[in-house]
Amino acid sequence: MKIVVAIKQVPNRDAPVRIAAGGKWIDESDLEWAMNEPDAHALEEALQLKEQHGGEVIVVSAGPERVAATIREALAKGADRGLHIVSDDLGARDALGVARLLAAVIKPENPDLVLTGLQSEDLGLGQTGVILAELLGLPHATLILHVEKTDAGLKVKRELEEGWFQSIDMSLPALLTMQSGGNKLRYATLMGIKRAKSKEMRAVSAAELGIELAPVVTLEQISAPKKQKSTQILSGSAKEAAAALVEKLKTEARVL
Amino acid sequence: MNLLPTLTEPRHFVLWERALFAALAGASAYGFWRRFGPILGRILQSKKDPDFRLFPITKRVRDFVWEVLLEAKVIRERPLAGVAHALVFWAFCVFALVTLNHCAAILGLGFLDPAGRVGRIYFAVAALFAIACAVAIACLFVRRFFVQPQWLGRLSWESGLIALLIFMLMATYLAAFFVAAPAGAVRALWWAHTLALLAFLPLIPHTKHLHLVLSPFSVFLSRGGFAQIPPLRGDEDFGLVAGKDLTRLVSLQAYSCVECGRCMEHCPANATGKQLNPKEIVLGLRGYLDEFGPASEEPLLGKYASQQAAFECTTCGACEFQCPVGIEHVPILVGLRRGAVNTGAWDDAYGAKLFLALEKGSNALGLSTTERDKFVEKNALSIFDGTQEYCLWLGCMGAYDPHGREIVLALVRIMRHLGTSFGVLRKEKCSGDPVRRLGNDFLFQQLAEANLDAMVQNRVKKIVSICPHCVRTIQEDWKEFGTPPEVEHHSEFLAKFASQLPSFQSQQKIVFHDPCYLGRYRNAYNEPRQVAALAGELVEAPRSRERSFCCGAGGGLAFLGEERGERVSHVRAAELAATGAEVIAAACPFCNTMFRDALAARGGGAPELMDIAQIAARRLPERNAG
Repeated sequence: MKIVVAIKQVPNRDAPVRIAAGGKWIDESDLEWAMNEPDAHALEEALQLKEQHGGEVIVVSAGPERVAATIREALAKGADRGLHIVSDDLGARDALGVARLLAAVIKPENPDLVLTGLQSEDLGLGQTGVILAELLGLPHATLILHVEKTDAGLKVKRELEEGWFQSIDMSLPALLTMQSGGNKLRYATLMGIKRAKSKEMRAVSAAELGIELAPVVTLEQISAPKKQKSTQILSGSAKEAAAALVEKLKTEARVL
Repeated sequence: MNLLPTLTEPRHFVLWERALFAALAGASAYGFWRRFGPILGRILQSKKDPDFRLFPITKRVRDFVWEVLLEAKVIRERPLAGVAHALVFWAFCVFALVTLNHCAAILGLGFLDPAGRVGRIYFAVAALFAIACAVAIACLFVRRFFVQPQWLGRLSWESGLIALLIFMLMATYLAAFFVAAPAGAVRALWWAHTLALLAFLPLIPHTKHLHLVLSPFSVFLSRGGFAQIPPLRGDEDFGLVAGKDLTRLVSLQAYSCVECGRCMEHCPANATGKQLNPKEIVLGLRGYLDEFGPASEEPLLGKYASQQAAFECTTCGACEFQCPVGIEHVPILVGLRRGAVNTGAWDDAYGAKLFLALEKGSNALGLSTTERDKFVEKNALSIFDGTQEYCLWLGCMGAYDPHGREIVLALVRIMRHLGTSFGVLRKEKCSGDPVRRLGNDFLFQQLAEANLDAMVQNRVKKIVSICPHCVRTIQEDWKEFGTPPEVEHHSEFLAKFASQLPSFQSQQKIVFHDPCYLGRYRNAYNEPRQVAALAGELVEAPRSRERSFCCGAGGGLAFLGEERGERVSHVRAAELAATGAEVIAAACPFCNTMFRDALAARGGGAPELMDIAQIAARRLPERNAG
């Protein structure tokens, strides 16, 4: 099975996010970068499918030079090849613009399966994968936790609201956007890093792909969310208060 | 002169006697070489140690004299058996000349004349050693076959036979002083001694007595640094994966093991019902080498050693410290882990979580760095800018763990009281200790390099830290990737200024627990005691200083979740509490957190747990608070 995984490099969760002058993008000078978490799960799913059924895993990522480090990380974890769409103006492109870049390099590969994370940790639009499916002309399913290869194609487990799941049979080729937490991520190894050195990584520029920059949606301004703190005192006996707390942690804070 | 007894040797040997001797000696030598030759071959065919340096040689000579010739380590750690062993060993040394002369005599080449001045004195001295040796070997026989310490393992008939042969050698030698006639009896004694000797030789390489030949080399050639982890070399070196990765030193050590079980006796994992037995790890390597050889691709973790056992090691180093033949268990165990982790063969949910946390984040606890920023800001810790004397290294525990933070703040109060200038780094990553000991070389290199960069950028010259694990890793392990700054553990810093700290006479009894990474790894035993003694009267736990028993957290195990069997921390906490001390003094945030849980599990009446910094800061004037 030939699997393409589209990966985005995002600011590390810990990174101090400040808005850059002009108010249209974040200040990148003091940031550390990491692989988008849902994409890491998409990669893991692809690697597991390859380990079970054979085939090839190709990683695609768009972005400036620094993105190469994230592609190398994916190669170190076991991907076979890397495709880097070199583009310095990703922030000015909307989801359609980015999907067009990805589609332009993925289409010639003719993959059996395309995996993306369900959304990015920085912008969280959740659209790129779905638009990409449309551009590639592939059926898609979103919020996928688990993928199983069947004779007919795939059986996927999709997450719904409130603890419900949906099981779907799909034919191949297809595109899936993956939810975090469905599988156990693997750690990077010294052997993987050394082997990755000899793996193919091809860079193409956005201009070479001939994709016009004509955003449908333009970014006006970004701003930090206002910090809000509110304290609630739960009344009643310890038992009642505890029950109320659990309810709130489940429904409001959603940490349980 | 004539008061000395005289040894009687046969005057002449007939031709058939000489022929028989030559044949037997040849057979004996063949028996020795048939086993020893291949062993030597396997050692020499092993990979060369990339980091081996013969020089500086002074430490090697010193260790050789102290540990081999004087048997000091053997005696210190097990006095009774140690002295008995030393007497046997010294007798062997004295007998080298006696034996040579004994064999030369039949060829008419004897060089020590029993009637001559030199010969008489030498033989008399040898007789004294022979008496001591005979008594000692008899005692050791009783210990082995009747007392049967569990550390020595299964009884083997070879041990009994060897003891018997040694006893026979001594007895036949001594008897020759008393039997001067008839000639037949003298001759019979000579032959009895000879036969014992020729039977002994081939037994050496077939039994643990191989250490007679190899241990002087393994002691002299050992890496030298305690628990020193060797660097990996080239693109195909991932640690100890298969036989091809075993280096000459590792193979030499595997064959040198004398199976005394000191390592096992002192191993915290072994003592608490885990699978790991350091002795079996070493003997496993020997078994592997015998079956597969040093060029094999067969995985080391398999038939002869289990992955589970390798990952139960706390790297406390008690085994390596105890070993009388210079075996370096920690690099072997870490080497096996490296082989498993660097190739991705180790699949452990907790381990993967720790590694992933450090791939993306900065600390082993997997918390956001903003937590550290808040802590630094809230306590007005100044940022290190190159002008202060000390860079205060917080470490993951000091920056993120609530109790670790209390220790840091106690140290901060003291440093402010003393007027010592210090600052903390704006950004700090995990020193790499847990991933280093767990064998993740990719992550360790990343962390060490990032931290070394920060040291250069911030012009750090001197570090002080509350964590012995950080101290060790910064000082020794970072060396693989650059030049680390000078590092002090806070016990060393506090001891320097002990006279300026408020002391108070108190009847309170304090027991100090030696952290492995401060004691065995760094030789700092007195400094923390000096600080703890400021606040009361020190008492010692049964196992203290070099023999201190681990808290169970080392080697990255603090991050690996629930352990099998009894908890190491509970055993140690019970031992510390049993001293009757009111305060348990710790000097490591990991020991602290382990004992906190263990003492909480014991319930009421448990002694108070404090870091030595907290003890020293307790009586500081309040104005220095915060």
